[in-house]
Amino acid sequence: MRRFATKQGLGAATLIAALLGAVSAPAARAEDPGKFPGYTLKVKLIGGNQYDPLYKRIPEWEKATGAKVEILSSKNGFDLDKELKADLAAGNVRWCAGWDHTSFMAQYGDLYTNLFDLVPKATQDTFIQRTLQSAVIDGKLMLLPWHTDVSDMYFQKSLYADASNQARYKAKYGKDLAPPDTIDDFRNQVEFFAHPPTMYGTVFAGKEEGLNGRFYEMLLSYGGTYLGKDYRPMFNSEAGVKALEFFRDIYAAKAVPAGTINYLWDDIGQSFASGSVALDFDWPGWAAYFNDPKNSKIAGNVGVARAPAGPSGKRLGWSGSHGFSITKACDNKPAAVSFITWMTDYDTNMLEARRGLMPANAKAFDDIIAEVKAKHDDYMTNVFEVWQKSLAEDAYPVPHIAQWIEISNASYPEFQAAILGQKTPKEALDTAAKKATQILEDAGLLKD
Amino acid sequence: MRRARWAVPLLLVLPAIVVIAAVVLLPLVVSLYSSFTAYTMIHPASLYRWVGWRNYRRLIEDSGFWWAFGRTVVFLTVALNLELLLGLGLALLIAQVTRGQRLLRTVLMFPMMFSPVLVGFQFNFLLNDNVGLLDNALLQIGAIRQPIPWLVNGATANLSILVAEIWMSTSVFAILLLAGLLAMPHEPVEAARVDGCSAWQSFRYITLPFLMPFVYIAMTIRSLDVGRAFDMVRIMTNGGPAGRTELVWTLMATVGFQDGQMGRANAMAYLSIILSIVFTFYFARKLASARAALGDTA
Repeated sequence: MRRFATKQGLGAATLIAALLGAVSAPAARAEDPGKFPGYTLKVKLIGGNQYDPLYKRIPEWEKATGAKVEILSSKNGFDLDKELKADLAAGNVRWCAGWDHTSFMAQYGDLYTNLFDLVPKATQDTFIQRTLQSAVIDGKLMLLPWHTDVSDMYFQKSLYADASNQARYKAKYGKDLAPPDTIDDFRNQVEFFAHPPTMYGTVFAGKEEGLNGRFYEMLLSYGGTYLGKDYRPMFNSEAGVKALEFFRDIYAAKAVPAGTINYLWDDIGQSFASGSVALDFDWPGWAAYFNDPKNSKIAGNVGVARAPAGPSGKRLGWSGSHGFSITKACDNKPAAVSFITWMTDYDTNMLEARRGLMPANAKAFDDIIAEVKAKHDDYMTNVFEVWQKSLAEDAYPVPHIAQWIEISNASYPEFQAAILGQKTPKEALDTAAKKATQILEDAGLLKD
Repeated sequence: MRRARWAVPLLLVLPAIVVIAAVVLLPLVVSLYSSFTAYTMIHPASLYRWVGWRNYRRLIEDSGFWWAFGRTVVFLTVALNLELLLGLGLALLIAQVTRGQRLLRTVLMFPMMFSPVLVGFQFNFLLNDNVGLLDNALLQIGAIRQPIPWLVNGATANLSILVAEIWMSTSVFAILLLAGLLAMPHEPVEAARVDGCSAWQSFRYITLPFLMPFVYIAMTIRSLDVGRAFDMVRIMTNGGPAGRTELVWTLMATVGFQDGQMGRANAMAYLSIILSIVFTFYFARKLASARAALGDTA
């Protein structure tokens, strides 16, 4: 409450929302950050321009607590991942708090400590519980999320509003043309809208963890299982074949650019923003970008819809959260808890949400929707509402094993071979499962 | 007395020996040892789990590794030879220039100044089949009807990487060979001209023999340095799709740093070291023979 009183103003829009009753008493706020005068907290943070606004909160924490923050490292996620592994390998952990991600955290089991033991229950309760639970491994909370990702469907509204498209689609598929609610609709519409080279149905991440992640959620939507309870790879199932066939079929139909097999997130986002792609199943961080005329040719023409569901009824929902963790070796855990709580609190979440990122704080999610509604920003209102539902009902993390990235690296060349038609999906999946089995056997997770 | 004569020099070079042992020998021994272990970065204790020849055995049986190895040999051979030819051509042209040569030499060095990561992004953007400059330009002028997926097809993807590497590194050859040309005495060429030799004959029998030591020095430096193309390949294709552009460097980086399997990555490195030794030994021998030939001529 005291902190709330001393914080910077929230801006006119929020005040309007507050007057409308959308912003209730600050029950979600963290407690007093405490005082740590003279203490220097050493941290390793993810770097990049997109994180600079978040890090403006660091001086505020320093001022509130009397502590100093020394940033030992600030690299992109993949380079920081390598550095954290090198720290683990060298036994050289002389820092307290650091960046973490739900897709990577299982690798850092010996590095970071269980936050359930350190973070007060009241603070834990401020998070969206499904998101917080995605950061739990074997009953241990590995990170506090600061924003979270799950993919939903972006589409060009004009294509759906076009009367000729509506008539042709109805005639061909016997259904009204509307954003895809099922994977079959998705496939049909991707092929329906494709007129290469001027228009493609969609684009997808064609390599590395991106492809494995997309395959993973497709597999689950087809009713499959990635790893069994005993960690045995089970993705080379009938559901796995159908999941891989989805990618192979739209690739073979030339409904995606041939180069999509090399694309990662930036290529995908740029393709949709260029106006040459009808549907883009993508992360929420792009929402503001796509609707900004400075960056996007389709600004004002972007719609969003919830992820489609597969035959199992499960919607695509591969999710991941950025967050902060505390090292086991930290010499001042109360200061570290104060720091990561501050960096994931309501105000941080609102700051990030105003940039179009999805908050991990439950109250911030409600409040940002109220705020954009008050601004009559129908697009962002729709974005936040669609993603709020997805995060609450559809999102799930990758399997919490340290070998996820390694299995991804072993599997994706096989998936690519199937998509390119070099192997049948079953052959590719069997080879990938064999490689994954060896990785898990070497790690001691599988006994044979 | 004899011991005393050795003691002082030994004492003097001892610091150098200690430094070299610490920064070169020790890491080599540790990495060689780790190639016989199940060493995983996220489990430091695995450094002590001896697995014998397992890492090497698996690599020898892994066709993917040998494809990457063979592709690296071809890449090195083709890239270095083309860079040499183009660099030699550029150096000869610039050597003819009398005004503005200094400016040209500076401009020539521009590609060297770009980081390989930047070059990778630059070519990735140029060759993107949806929003890339090249395909869009070709479509606009009607040269193609469908975009060419440069980085998907095995042949065009490897060719694209080769072009990017040549664009980035040809200037190294050009600068080194230009230094050789500028250091060359003019008298033999002028004498040949007086004797009625053609331009080709002067180049073939006078300029080229003089340049050969520079050529082999440049070749040796570049064969050791060409690994910096790793960053560029990583950005452009990361060895894909489906391993079509996988080089030993990208494979090692994935296994070592992304998968954290340092034991296996070190085994790859020791198998690949054969390649470096062969190339370096070959160029060192050629350099020695070229210098000897130059000495004989002189």
